[in-house]
Amino acid sequence: MNVKYLRVINRDQCIGCFSCMYACSRMVRNAAGSGKAALRVKAYAGVEGAFSIRVCARCTDPDCANACPAGALTKAPGGGVRLNKELCISCMACVKACAISALQWDEEEKHPLPCIHCGQCVKYCPNNVLALSEKKEGGDQR
Amino acid sequence: MTGTIMHIDMNTGTGSVRHDPELFAAFLGGTAVATELLFRHGNPQGDPLAPESPIIFTIGPFSSLFPVATKTVAMFKSPLSGELGESHAGGRMAMSLREAGLDALVITGRAERPSYLVIENEQAIIKSASTFHGQSSAATERILREAEGKSGRKVSILRIGPAGERLSPMACATVDGSRHFGRLGLGAVLGSKNLKAIVVSGTKTLPLARPKEFKAVYDTLYDRVVKSKEMKKYHDLGTPANIRPLSMIRGLPTRNFSQGNFEGADAISGERFAKDFLVQHTSCAHCQCGCIHMAELREEFAPYHYSTNRISYDYELIYAMGSMLSLSSPEEILKLLLFTEKQGWDAISLGCTLAWATEAFLRGTLSLDDTEGLPLSFGDCGSYLSVLERMAKGEGEFFRDLEKGCAWCANKRGGTEWAIQYGGVEPGGYLTGENFTVTCLLGIRHSHLDDNGYSIDQNLLNASKPLEEQVRAQVKEARWRMVLNSLVVCLFARGVYDAEVILQGLDALGEQWNEARLRDLAAQALKRKHEWKRLCGFDPAEVAVPEKIYSVQTSNGMIDRERLAERLRLYREEAGI
Repeated sequence: MNVKYLRVINRDQCIGCFSCMYACSRMVRNAAGSGKAALRVKAYAGVEGAFSIRVCARCTDPDCANACPAGALTKAPGGGVRLNKELCISCMACVKACAISALQWDEEEKHPLPCIHCGQCVKYCPNNVLALSEKKEGGDQR
Repeated sequence: MTGTIMHIDMNTGTGSVRHDPELFAAFLGGTAVATELLFRHGNPQGDPLAPESPIIFTIGPFSSLFPVATKTVAMFKSPLSGELGESHAGGRMAMSLREAGLDALVITGRAERPSYLVIENEQAIIKSASTFHGQSSAATERILREAEGKSGRKVSILRIGPAGERLSPMACATVDGSRHFGRLGLGAVLGSKNLKAIVVSGTKTLPLARPKEFKAVYDTLYDRVVKSKEMKKYHDLGTPANIRPLSMIRGLPTRNFSQGNFEGADAISGERFAKDFLVQHTSCAHCQCGCIHMAELREEFAPYHYSTNRISYDYELIYAMGSMLSLSSPEEILKLLLFTEKQGWDAISLGCTLAWATEAFLRGTLSLDDTEGLPLSFGDCGSYLSVLERMAKGEGEFFRDLEKGCAWCANKRGGTEWAIQYGGVEPGGYLTGENFTVTCLLGIRHSHLDDNGYSIDQNLLNASKPLEEQVRAQVKEARWRMVLNSLVVCLFARGVYDAEVILQGLDALGEQWNEARLRDLAAQALKRKHEWKRLCGFDPAEVAVPEKIYSVQTSNGMIDRERLAERLRLYREEAGI
């Protein structure tokens, strides 16, 4: 079976508008703002125009879930992770374990914001930076 | 809006927060609210650079929630015009104020030593800027992005360059990459408070009360911004697309407003910049248009050794440093802009003042003694760079004077006839005709953005229109922009935000407005600003045009004294000022 996963396909076309982050907060979490987004556009100081977009890799063996001491963040079927908020102890071990800094933190509610690979961010990117691709369940994405 | 207002007292280094939802319910937000706060905290007769003189920042109900609602409004008393100081900037400041939960920021007082302000949600801390006092605007951002960066959170950084620290009335305040509170000297007001920078961040989001309605309005706006033609020109070539067409209709001010067609227009056109210098578009937070055009300037500083800088460019900047100074080399324009950006001067005021100085030198009003041995001539970039270097070092009285603007310089040294300024403010780049001249004279900020004067002028080339109708259209637009600037949306999106979608958006946010109330707010806001200007000493019946303007060809021929006077009378009558 194939699963969908989010990819950055044209990093160098990003204009840093954060539309993707706003879309994720709005469409997935019903929140206006960028703070509940499950992805991040990073900008580098002093080098205007250099952006890096960090999206969940939908790992088959997720470091974030492996780092969770509370059993709150667990591997989802087909890769990626799901969160049981009730169990989260807000230790941030998951966020620290994500080497690519893709897993985001909800600063209001103090829990991680796992990406559900729904593609709303793709829909609201004006410059074709992101894409929702498919891979074989358990397969390598690259 | 919750009407959360943070008041920072730089004297004591403390911040306090209070809530005034009624103020925002009555005045919407942005510019209309800021005007009321200026009445509340400011003294129109006071010294703009006195500690008690307030700086007010506001956002509006749409800020950071809907596409292209990117601007923050700054209100203060201007050290350049001596009256209403108002400036808008993009970047991330509106986003960060929204995420911090702050609808307005009021800053008064003066710190004992160079300081910067860090705002995180409703907490404010004043820290020492001793280590980076005197640093360029660009370096200050790099330093603070590291020092005050927050993992996984967006931070907005407003700062002044050395020009603001020297209290130059043409100093701007720069936000994030390269957005500016320009034109009216906010940089000097910040400098007078010993406030080098403001760092804002927050952790808040706004739960959607009516998600379905909100998303529907959002999608309408998103499609207009991204898929319609409304904003395409701002993204593609950007405002420099106007260089060639304006020059063709004699509307591009050249060599200190001597003529409107520039022989070098093709060489400095938007097309030329895009082809040879544009390296990337960037955008303000939550603007899918991305109008910021970044040029790359590569310079060989030693054999086979290069420095590379990125500089944002725009129509007004190319006019001010290009056609006004008769420079037809993009590299030269970019060199001047890079220096200007680092110092934190307003590029339009600086370009106009350099053009005044050049004309004054060529006419013999300024001698080589005045310029301390430096000859000035149009087209001589090397001299202009030397001028900027001396200004930055504060070397010599003439160079210290130059950063006070052309009105101030001409009053002291002569040449007021060709000091192109209106109410003390150097104009945007239009020599289109009388409607634009009225904008400069009676626009609340003396800004080309106050109404659509230059656009009415250009439309006259296609079809004539009775004078009364032209003036009425101008006042109508000036009022409508009060609504856009209160929401606060970027004026580049003025074609996107019509009354219908604005009311739908307000409704989705649970704000109770109708079109009649919006138009009433607009008319009142314009009058209130003029009321404040009058208290400062500005009389709309006693405005002056630089004499030279009567002797040059505009896109619509010569400016007629009597007809201009009649336009001004009609404008005052129509606007009720």
